[in-house]
Amino acid sequence: MTTTDIPAPTARRSATAARRSPKRERQGAAWVFLSPWVLGATVLTLLPMAVSLYLSFTDYDLFNPPRWVGLRNYVQMFTEDPRYWRSVLTTLTYVVIAVPLQLALALAVALALKGMKRGKGFYRSAFYAPSLLGASMSVALVWRAVFNDGGTVDHLLGTGGWVNRPGWALFAVALLTVWQFGAPMVIFLAGLQQIPAELYEAAAVDGAGRWRQFVSVTVPMLSPVLFFNLVLQTIQAFQVFTPAFAISAGKGGPADSTLVYTLYLYDRGFVASHMGYASAMAWVLLFVIGAVTAVLFRTSRSWVFYTSEEER
Amino acid sequence: MPGHRTKGFCATAAALALCAVLAGCGGSGESAGGGKIVLRYTWWGNPDRAARTEKAVALFEQRHPDIRVQTSFSGYDAYKQKLATQAAGGDPPDVMQLDYRQIDQYASGGVLLDLGRQQRVLRTAGIDPGLLATGRVRGAQYAVPQGRGTETVAYDVQAWRRSGVPLPGRSWAWDQWADAMRALARKTGKPGGTDPGQSEDAFEVWLRGQGKSLYTKDRRLGFTAADLARWWTFTDRLRRQGAVSPAEQTTQLDGSVENTPLGRGKAASDANWDAPASGFQALVKGGVALAPMPSGADGTPGQYFKPSMFLGIGAHTSHPAEAAQLIDFLVDDSDAAKILGATRGIPVNEAIRREIGPSLTGFDKTIADYQASLEGTLKDPPHAPPSGDNALQTTFQRDYDQVSYERMSPRRAAENYVTEAKAELRS
Repeated sequence: MTTTDIPAPTARRSATAARRSPKRERQGAAWVFLSPWVLGATVLTLLPMAVSLYLSFTDYDLFNPPRWVGLRNYVQMFTEDPRYWRSVLTTLTYVVIAVPLQLALALAVALALKGMKRGKGFYRSAFYAPSLLGASMSVALVWRAVFNDGGTVDHLLGTGGWVNRPGWALFAVALLTVWQFGAPMVIFLAGLQQIPAELYEAAAVDGAGRWRQFVSVTVPMLSPVLFFNLVLQTIQAFQVFTPAFAISAGKGGPADSTLVYTLYLYDRGFVASHMGYASAMAWVLLFVIGAVTAVLFRTSRSWVFYTSEEER
Repeated sequence: MPGHRTKGFCATAAALALCAVLAGCGGSGESAGGGKIVLRYTWWGNPDRAARTEKAVALFEQRHPDIRVQTSFSGYDAYKQKLATQAAGGDPPDVMQLDYRQIDQYASGGVLLDLGRQQRVLRTAGIDPGLLATGRVRGAQYAVPQGRGTETVAYDVQAWRRSGVPLPGRSWAWDQWADAMRALARKTGKPGGTDPGQSEDAFEVWLRGQGKSLYTKDRRLGFTAADLARWWTFTDRLRRQGAVSPAEQTTQLDGSVENTPLGRGKAASDANWDAPASGFQALVKGGVALAPMPSGADGTPGQYFKPSMFLGIGAHTSHPAEAAQLIDFLVDDSDAAKILGATRGIPVNEAIRREIGPSLTGFDKTIADYQASLEGTLKDPPHAPPSGDNALQTTFQRDYDQVSYERMSPRRAAENYVTEAKAELRS
């Protein structure tokens, strides 16, 4: 697009009108085909983002016109709102529990499926299914019923309802996410199949056992895929909402134990009608996710291994 | 391979085309009714109320063949959140059920239509003037009260009788109530009732029993952190003694009777509003009776007659006259009143109240009798709560969670609440 934007030299432009118009036409056609995307991105993403940035500097109750308050929302968030910090801590705890568990499970299942000769397709779909269902509210509600007191888990394990215990509720939320390990699993599976069999053969000849092969061949060869999954799942985990919302009936309870960041954001915006404050929270979240991703990229230099580097 | 691709492309194209067609249908809600005017009417409640509302709406549609009413309902908490989202998006339903706490915020936010403009269709002359005034904000009528309700202690008659604890009489003080809860817990092995500590409504009754109020006339907090700390200390002690429900059960409350300890068969009583208590019938096999809320030590009653819920119209509805017709039907039509009974409280239209009064049966009669027994003994209702209260109701529950899960002392939780409430009321 940028190249066509550059005005052609005057000499060439004056050559013929016939040469210019097809180019214009082509450009026009490009815009026509691009328009759904451009329109979508502008109306559905850029504009709302701009509005939300503006709102974050206002006091807006959804009903009356926004009132400019400068940085007050941000100041209040960082200095006067203990519940805000509680939601930050809850989210971090959640990320630290859910992401490694989910990735470990996804990798374990992918390894098991890789060597499988028969029924691979069936198991792959079976393990992937929860990822398709899991995002839905209904499954989260079933989850709530299963972990409620008097629910299935209570009957089987006699541990009482997890979702009603402040110490356990967040774990129930994390478990719902971990269970949806299908997407990273499929990516791992694809990654595993890319590893050349010769490497394993060579390792075996050198006397490496299965564990040694895993550590010295699989992990380094898989590290780009591992990194990709880690970044993606971390970003998603920071934005967890549906399971926490469903399990706590929208309240983040019991005793704020499942009040994750986005749930508190929702609470401020739509329950307490402080849309300005909620917008400010959203921008801080965006910034934090950006920062965490940047840190992950920075650390990746020391542990992610690309085959092309070796050849260089 | 190219063959594959073509097939896939065709399938995708077909799917896209289908989506476009479906979206086209979905988008034009007006024409979906087959040329009829479509009104969206939303409310909160329980299945009992749903069955009766559907029946009343069907009668309305029968009388107005050109109007179709789409109803939807949910539990109170979910409804509150959904309505706020719709209102914020500029798409509130045509006719909506509202709570006392929502009127001020929604009216001053321009969400509600001034009903004064629909006077020709919507008759308000039959409604008790005092009750009607509760739907007025800055001189304009934004909502019409639909019923009159009051709080009550609903209890499992059989469980209570079997325990040998004397049944509640016509009045009791909080201390007597607490004794009864303890005695019930001892005799039945289950808590006597729901922990009232999480309920701002119950706290208000307790507060009024001491001559105080939730809010002052100038929309400020009417009590101190010390008052709230005393209330929470009182309920927290009862919870520790097992006289009222444990935190794990209390935290499941979401405004629906199904999720109360009484509704789940885990306690013998529940403090609730009288109209939704009808939902207990289907859940409590031993039968449900109503007792008054406890009063202050000197007998000062804390409970009051409250407009139980309101009906309002979305400010930008394209069918204001028809929406007003529906409200008029629900509030002022005697056939509708017979179907609805006391499911939203006792009717506010006095002529209708007199007319259907004697014909009430079952739990409707229980509610009417209960209200009649309180007539003349209660004090005036408080002013409509200020806007911020809508959010504070949830904050109240949350802060008490911290107490009942023993993560904070009643004193500290109360201070937290008062700090947040003051900030909320200022903004």
